[in-house]
Amino acid sequence: MADLHARTESDQAQNAGAPDLTRRSFLTQGAAALAGVTAVAAAVSPLRHLSAEHLPNLDEFLQKHYKEMTAEDKQRVFARISQEVQQRHHVQARLSDPPPLDGVEFVYGLNLSRCIGCRKCVHACVKENNQSRSPEIQYIRVLEMEKGSIDLETANHHYDPESVPNPDKYYMPVQCHQCANPPCVKVCPVEATWQEPDGIVVIDYDWCIGCRYCEAACPYWARRFNFADPQIPSDKLNPDMAYLSNRPRERGVMEKCTYCLQRTRVGRMPACLEVCPTGSRKFGNVLDPDSEVAYILQHKRVFVLKEDVGTIPRFFYYFDERGGRYREPVASPDLGGEA
Amino acid sequence: MSQPACSTANRARAFWVPAALLFCAVILVLNPLPFHTPVAPATPVADWVTDPAPVERPKLRPEYTVAVFDYRCSDCHRIIPSPAETDRRLTQHREIELAHGINTRCFNCHHRTNRDAFADDAGDEIPWDQPQRLCSKCHGPVYRDWQHGSHGRTNGYWDKTQGQQTRRKCIECHNPHRPTFRPMHPAPGPNTLRMGPQGHSAHAEVHDPLRLKWTTGHHGESATHQ
Repeated sequence: MADLHARTESDQAQNAGAPDLTRRSFLTQGAAALAGVTAVAAAVSPLRHLSAEHLPNLDEFLQKHYKEMTAEDKQRVFARISQEVQQRHHVQARLSDPPPLDGVEFVYGLNLSRCIGCRKCVHACVKENNQSRSPEIQYIRVLEMEKGSIDLETANHHYDPESVPNPDKYYMPVQCHQCANPPCVKVCPVEATWQEPDGIVVIDYDWCIGCRYCEAACPYWARRFNFADPQIPSDKLNPDMAYLSNRPRERGVMEKCTYCLQRTRVGRMPACLEVCPTGSRKFGNVLDPDSEVAYILQHKRVFVLKEDVGTIPRFFYYFDERGGRYREPVASPDLGGEA
Repeated sequence: MSQPACSTANRARAFWVPAALLFCAVILVLNPLPFHTPVAPATPVADWVTDPAPVERPKLRPEYTVAVFDYRCSDCHRIIPSPAETDRRLTQHREIELAHGINTRCFNCHHRTNRDAFADDAGDEIPWDQPQRLCSKCHGPVYRDWQHGSHGRTNGYWDKTQGQQTRRKCIECHNPHRPTFRPMHPAPGPNTLRMGPQGHSAHAEVHDPLRLKWTTGHHGESATHQ
């Protein structure tokens, strides 16, 4: 107490008038102030990387939620996005917003007996959907699994042998299952993600705040976060874009597989299916009884991944009666005759 | 406490505050432990990876190429009959690698007299543009699945009212003489922030994307031990 009292007295004596400001205390306090200012300046120096590109302009700031936008609002927003793509990539984007089709519910089938794990679907998806190449963002993850189990704990997605398939393994590609009871939609605090009438779960990238709750909620890890500015070479950009799917994303938003809605809502097959060399991937309208997926659901042994979590996926894995025969064929038979 | 001791404490405080601030400033400006970005450069992806063409490239015509000339099969086989049973080594078509299980006889599939057609079980002709009917002679369940679309490739439009749908035929994915699907080299694996290459199985170690530079040596060292 005595020390504190003495110090207060001494401070009062020092601050009583300017004449008490000695040369020593002036220099010390000046150095401290300078160092403080330098430290603050250094601490905020990363802000110098902030360009006008990252700050929202007034239009973006006042943009409404996708579901509240009128047709004119949408046209204005699409024009702005096209302009941004033009500025950044010098590519004329054909931006569209195909609506969900009446009487259509999309379902995916994947034949585990035939998939050979070549990963062509992974890269066709990246090419179609304008994902970032650096840092890499991929919607499809191909798991190499032990035969005789569906044990995700022992699955490996880093396999890189000389050739696939490995006859002792099987391969299970995992992507967004477009669940009928989607946990990712429930946790979104700002309603930036929702399920469309045709079953596709979409994201409004302009509404997403990047909290990543949905990534944590998804039991399939189907959602991806843009940690850094997405890098896409301009010559690799797919100019056929839809607002809710493959238009370029910003840093700090989530993205996910949308069953290529820019293609599938105009009747085409998704990009991952088109490139599959084995024909393991099947896609269609489950409400149409003549569709391929309806046949698979009726006649094949089908399972959904993590059925116990109650997500009710629209992505079905199925098998053939006999497993895919990965083994090499028997040696070319000797056709007989003279030796 | 006496007055001199108090002024010493003041002087000590007056020294330590700017010294600590200066140290912070130096650390922030010189940045001796810079943030090491975990963002890897883009992995080059070859063109074949995103090419949707089927793996086999059959002619889908009863033609045979000698040098650069295409001949219809019947052009030769009308003049040169081949023996009824292949009981000798082939002198022609030596490039064909036959590995179709126990199916080792040419005329199990090819028609004996009309070489532009295939043979069905009764010995009648199957037109050359319907090879799936030939395969269905033995592969019934697969043919049934192919008819309904659960086996084989369907490209184009899922909605036939909006565009054309292409059903790939058997021989566009399987070489008829060696029908096992050929193993292929896999496309590059994931190198994403959470799934970067870890050298070994995915769960061998915890992947820390925010690691500092000076921990990478230790990281690599621990990886080589596994």
